[in-house]
Amino acid sequence: MVKTFKSIFFYTGAFALCVPPLFVFIWMILTGLKTGIQNISYPPEFLFTPTLENFRAVFQQYNFFRYLLNSLIIATLATAISLVLGLPAAYSIAKYRQNKIGIIILIARMTPFVSYLLPWYIIFRYLKLIDTYSALTITHLIITMPMVIWLMVSFFESMPSELEDAAMIDGCSRWQSFLLIVLPLVRNGIATAAIMSFIFSWNQFLFSLILSGPKTKTVPVAVYNFISYGKIDWAGIGAAATLIVLPVSIFAFFVRKSIVQGLTMGALKD
Amino acid sequence: MANVILKNLIKRYGSVTAVDNLNIEIRDREFAVLVGPSGCGKTTALRMIAGLETVTSGDIYIGDTLVNDMAPKDRDIAMVFQNYALYPHMNVRDNLGFGLKMRKFSKTEIDRRVQEAADILGIHDLLERKPKELSGGQRQRVAVGRAIVRKPKVFLFDEPLSNLDAKLRVAMRAEISKLHRRLGATIVYVTHDQVEAMTMADRIFIMHNGTLQQSGMPLDVYNKPANRFVAGFIGSPAMNFIETRLVREKDTWFIASEGFKVRLPEAFYPRVEPYADRPVIFGVRPEDMEEHDPATGSDSGNTLTVQAEVVETLGFEVFVYLTCGPHALVARMEVPKHPLTVGQTLEVDLKMAQIHLFDRETSQTIV
Repeated sequence: MVKTFKSIFFYTGAFALCVPPLFVFIWMILTGLKTGIQNISYPPEFLFTPTLENFRAVFQQYNFFRYLLNSLIIATLATAISLVLGLPAAYSIAKYRQNKIGIIILIARMTPFVSYLLPWYIIFRYLKLIDTYSALTITHLIITMPMVIWLMVSFFESMPSELEDAAMIDGCSRWQSFLLIVLPLVRNGIATAAIMSFIFSWNQFLFSLILSGPKTKTVPVAVYNFISYGKIDWAGIGAAATLIVLPVSIFAFFVRKSIVQGLTMGALKD
Repeated sequence: MANVILKNLIKRYGSVTAVDNLNIEIRDREFAVLVGPSGCGKTTALRMIAGLETVTSGDIYIGDTLVNDMAPKDRDIAMVFQNYALYPHMNVRDNLGFGLKMRKFSKTEIDRRVQEAADILGIHDLLERKPKELSGGQRQRVAVGRAIVRKPKVFLFDEPLSNLDAKLRVAMRAEISKLHRRLGATIVYVTHDQVEAMTMADRIFIMHNGTLQQSGMPLDVYNKPANRFVAGFIGSPAMNFIETRLVREKDTWFIASEGFKVRLPEAFYPRVEPYADRPVIFGVRPEDMEEHDPATGSDSGNTLTVQAEVVETLGFEVFVYLTCGPHALVARMEVPKHPLTVGQTLEVDLKMAQIHLFDRETSQTIV
């Protein structure tokens, strides 16, 4: 009896949580498959002949491949740099209990991003870095790096310190014990941190809007440009948004197990 | 192989002194056991020898080399940890060979040494397994194996048996002793278990509150404890202590307390003289008490009238928990001919040659 109640609660809860985002998601895909007229008709049409015309148009009219490539380069660079710098940082915070530094990093992450925009624009213009991969990658680090650090700190904290002691006695320097013993043991966490960084960087809109230009425009900004003074190309937006979300979603679907593991495992000591 | 010397060794964490002016000389090929209750500084001392903790002041020599500022990897030591600290992502073979690989040994030499260690420890069948697929005792063997493949100057053991169950602990105890003889190595072994210390050590070093209390061969420490702490720590069940006064009646010395009065042997007189009419702590080991036999025992002033509270029968001997006036005592005796019952009054003799007296203020041994 209790069991039935529990599962009823569970499925009601799961349903309530999943329906709103799924609804928006499906609406987005449908928008991409309809023509412009169908999209603005009222009441909305649910039975229609789908068209792939919008997807073709996105690539032909808007140079979408270029934007996808830009996003890919920036997200990859941001993720790689966050890992290279963030993993040792997280290790150091965990190992030497540098909680203050940890908090400062968290504050940087929690500051409303809008407050960065003006100073950054001025600085990057002065440095002549507007519309470069460097500017976008550097700014994305403010999102990805704290995520890597805060996710990994709990992983490093749950590592028994005797393992490193043993490694140091076995002939490792501190760096070698970090690289050969510690990192392989937290690879689940690293995978999670990498995936999350990539997704957050891929989806980042605000910084890219201000600091990118014709050469480095990322996909979220490109979609924004579908809204022009005179008209809003809903069908194009739907198709482009689908194209943006699709690779990340498919990817996340395949690695969901290690994401869940990574997000929960560091917290529990076995 | 090498000796290990700790000279005026001090370790402070902020205002806490973990190790206080420790002076120890461990000889070449000696099995030295540092023993003491938890928090006595023994593990800190061991970690300083290993180089895992920095030294606040003092010197550590391994062989004739001052190693204070040497990295752990350069000290030529191996260490076995309490939780084994096997690398979870490597199989047993790689765990054993890791230290050699880091030191750039050739692959054939690594294989040879791993085989040799596996032979000694009987872990051939486990070489391809991961640590999580091993039982506690097997992990323990691998941890020891990882130390012996390196053929270091000094082996350090940090409570290596405390995660094993009682039976396995006894077996591994014997095995480590055997290994010590076979390797002829210098071993520094840390434990809080005085039985391990007594059974394995060539010499034991008893620590308390960061300071060395006494060192010596196990039996010497057992028979001639330097102070009350050592007396109470070594031996199981622990020594009985009673607060008493030294009383002189005519030319005879007694130690007396409520419901308790025994005559001291004459040999002790010169040493107790200065303590006349002062409180002293009287100590007697449980095995130095026996049931009074009226047939043989003429009254030599060493008989107590006591009551049995609890009787624990172990088969060949019994532990009897006694009360003597307000004092509680434990006696370890042969199984009595007539079974003891709870509440029964009986007489016990103390073996007066084996008793101990301690200064109440300084806790130092008087006799």
